[in-house]
Amino acid sequence: MALRLPSKVLKHILSFIDSNEDRNSVSLVCKSWFETERKTRKRVFVGNCYAVTPAAVARRFPEMRSLTLKGKPHFADYNLVPDGWGGYACPWIEAMAAKSPSLEEIRLKRMVVTDECLERIAASFKDFKVLVLTSCEGFSTDGIAAIASTCRNLRVLELRECIVEDLGGDWLSYFPETSTSLVSLDFSCLDSEVKISDLERLVSRSPNLKSLKLNPAVTLDGLVSILRRAPQLTELGTGSFAAELKPEAFTKLSKAFSNCKQLQSLSGLWDVLPEYLPALYSVCPGLTSLNLSYATVRMPDLVELLRRCSKLQKLWVMDLIEDKGLEAVASYCKELRELRVFPSEPDLDATNIPVTEQGLVYVSKGCRKLESVLYFCVQFTNAALITIARKRPNLKCFRLCVIEPFAPDYKTNEPLDKGFKAIAEGCKDLRRLSVSGLLSDKAFKYIGKHAKKVRMLSIAFAGDSDLMLHHLLSGCQSLKKLEIRDCPFGDTALLENAAKLETMRSLWMSSCFVSFGACKLLSQKMPRLNVEVIDEHPPKTRPESSPVERIYIYRTVAGPRMDTPEFVWTLHKNPEIGVSKLAIK
Amino acid sequence: MEFSNSCSSFSSSSLDSTKPSPSESSVNLSLSLTFPSTSPQREARQDWPPIKSRLRDTLKGRRLLRRRDDTSLFVKVYMEGVPIGRKLDLCAFSGYESLLENLSHMFDTPIICGKRDRKHHVLTYEDKDGDWMMVGDIPWDMFLETVRRLKITRPERY
Repeated sequence: MALRLPSKVLKHILSFIDSNEDRNSVSLVCKSWFETERKTRKRVFVGNCYAVTPAAVARRFPEMRSLTLKGKPHFADYNLVPDGWGGYACPWIEAMAAKSPSLEEIRLKRMVVTDECLERIAASFKDFKVLVLTSCEGFSTDGIAAIASTCRNLRVLELRECIVEDLGGDWLSYFPETSTSLVSLDFSCLDSEVKISDLERLVSRSPNLKSLKLNPAVTLDGLVSILRRAPQLTELGTGSFAAELKPEAFTKLSKAFSNCKQLQSLSGLWDVLPEYLPALYSVCPGLTSLNLSYATVRMPDLVELLRRCSKLQKLWVMDLIEDKGLEAVASYCKELRELRVFPSEPDLDATNIPVTEQGLVYVSKGCRKLESVLYFCVQFTNAALITIARKRPNLKCFRLCVIEPFAPDYKTNEPLDKGFKAIAEGCKDLRRLSVSGLLSDKAFKYIGKHAKKVRMLSIAFAGDSDLMLHHLLSGCQSLKKLEIRDCPFGDTALLENAAKLETMRSLWMSSCFVSFGACKLLSQKMPRLNVEVIDEHPPKTRPESSPVERIYIYRTVAGPRMDTPEFVWTLHKNPEIGVSKLAIK
Repeated sequence: MEFSNSCSSFSSSSLDSTKPSPSESSVNLSLSLTFPSTSPQREARQDWPPIKSRLRDTLKGRRLLRRRDDTSLFVKVYMEGVPIGRKLDLCAFSGYESLLENLSHMFDTPIICGKRDRKHHVLTYEDKDGDWMMVGDIPWDMFLETVRRLKITRPERY
């Protein structure tokens, strides 16, 4: 007699399992495990909003309390996806409003959210607690006001890098007059002024507030006043630091910061004048996260600040920090786990090179816990990459952006193949990789073979031929997301490795050499993939062999989507167009 | 395995001089990717390098602000045929003479103002309307207000 676990027992066991990856595995064991798991899952994550229908998700998970959705492909962040492509939140909100009224948390990334949508959220979910919108667009501050006024138990309202139609700062006054349950508020992406008195009153009646991120319109005076009312903050995003330096202003600011004894994370700092930085010194020893990516501060001032941040785990900074500054980081910030260095001069002709590969080498050598890197610079060497791989085999995320496309190792003039080979081989836990510089097909042979745990791979201006794509799609065991731009790939590698695409979340290719004919063939061959050709010139008017501008392929159980704009072609839209024969081995 | 690829439908643009020829792969592609080469006429792209819009806009705004600052005026200088350029603070010079002297030293060759000819390297500049002009025509102060970048032309060949 087979041993069966009573569902009550299984339910109890599952209550300890939070990871959705584990839960997905559990649900594959057998039908009864599938049933028990689905009835107990509270946090639902959908990585591609077109991979499954909202109704199916609502049906499967009746106890859903938290929904996370992602819409547009990642390259939309860099203007590679035309406006109007899709990623609408409304159908999801409608479905959840009808089937999951107990939903408490909604997190959306790269989606189009309208005011009507926000009003629906406010009206439909009685115990709504958390709204986090990242890189979303399509709504105005009116929608925010609706959330603020109606969701009485709102704990988290975060607008991270959204494009919002800003109709003014009134929305802030819509929060309940009595005390609020706010724990986190982020309106850093809004442009217009909010009334300081509204903000002061809100902060005063939000005793649980731990995280507050202001927008650039909030002045230093405003900041001081807020800090006085919320010394318990653990996360702060300041407003603009640009103000005429008056001694009393500086003293007040210093004092306000020194009273915030629990501050762990600091960001904002727009237009910070170096003379104001010493006001932050008192909080430095406690900081674990510091985002200076909008602070154009020179190296000496940065070092003076950073040498006090011995507990720092996350640092985002401009390349004005220079190699020398990174050397200082390597010696003072021994707890560093994540480093991002952004270009201060994103012009392609930039010849002022504030950071070189040496800066990253310093940090790799000095910071033993370093596991996540995003680094922009103008040139690199194989030797540096090899050193980084050797020193930091624990890297989980390595994104190198050599701004000059096709830039070889500037010391040897060779491609950066050997360097990235070392990274792929040496960093066995690497989950995310972005490559750049001059790379031949060989580099991708190494990556395909050795990067066994890489789930997301980003490639631009690289490779010699289809072999490159073939290496990646036939290797890279764990690959889930592949995004490629301006590489010489064509049809052959794509069609030969079509089956791989069903094991991945998505593939994006833009400005490559994929022909319209191949897209049609792939569509026909693989019904469980949505193949989208995103092209400003309608494919009908072009010959089969001509390359398409962009192609976005993703697996789906939802079938073809019905909300495509004119410039997106799918087989479903034009089934009468036959598939041409292609000369492929 | 032989992979063939036809890219004849792409229009050819001039290849980047810093990109080497294809290596030992079995395909000989003449790559004509849409990315322009390192000429000074390159426009600011919205999609490269891969930074988010907010950062890109902030940096653009800052560059405009810096222009109005009296203490320095950095412009880029290219010599025709040389992919890597230099950067120069024009406020460090008192006038055209000291500018030319400095440039000649920087590029290790005599540079003059005036019309292009067969013998000399001639200095030109791009003004705020995007037009390329001869250096030296207008008073130095006015020049500082309108100059965007500099280009040193090579002696004309016949």
